[in-house]
Amino acid sequence: MYWFSLILAGLFEMTGVLSINYVHQKKNWQSILLLIVAFSLSFIFLAIAMEKLPMSTAYAIWTGIGAAGSAVVGILWFNERTSLLRILFILMIISSTIGLKIIT
Amino acid sequence: MQKAWLQVVIGAFFEVIWVIGLKHAGSLIEWSTTVIAIFISFYLLIIAGERIPVGTAYAVFVGLGTAGTVLSDILFFDDPFNVIKILLIALLLFGVIGLKLVTDERGVE
Repeated sequence: MYWFSLILAGLFEMTGVLSINYVHQKKNWQSILLLIVAFSLSFIFLAIAMEKLPMSTAYAIWTGIGAAGSAVVGILWFNERTSLLRILFILMIISSTIGLKIIT
Repeated sequence: MQKAWLQVVIGAFFEVIWVIGLKHAGSLIEWSTTVIAIFISFYLLIIAGERIPVGTAYAVFVGLGTAGTVLSDILFFDDPFNVIKILLIALLLFGVIGLKLVTDERGVE
């Protein structure tokens, strides 16, 4: 349950990071609201995950899901270029996350 | 531009504060401090992102934040110094930073 909460936290973090650029573009209250709601949910789920998981592990994975997730969304939805390097970095994030889950 | 990097560093400092708060806060004062730290760190990152590429700022921000969190865990909260865990977190961080640095604002390399 705590790992699932961590994944949810990462997904909302990813939404929040994507919305930062949106705020820069639009600078309206809707975009700012999206930013606040996305990050708020992200923190709530992260706090739940941290009830059982170590602080640094949870934080690192949360960041990783956000970064890898926004990269994948960028590739799938926004036609960003895939490259061996990007895929390699995404795989690094995924594998180290799995590794951390195993040793925790 | 210098100022923007300073904002990133200070933002990362507040990031560490709120991560600690998220795990350890109990009283109203502690939770309020956590929420304030969240706002400060994200505010600093956002305004820094108006002067320097957001991806780069975020990469540095997250690198410092993760390093600070790991150190705090070990120094202040008795998290055992586990080499494998630190190596895995370092690998994860390498992936996050690498990803942010090979992509510019528009997602083009």
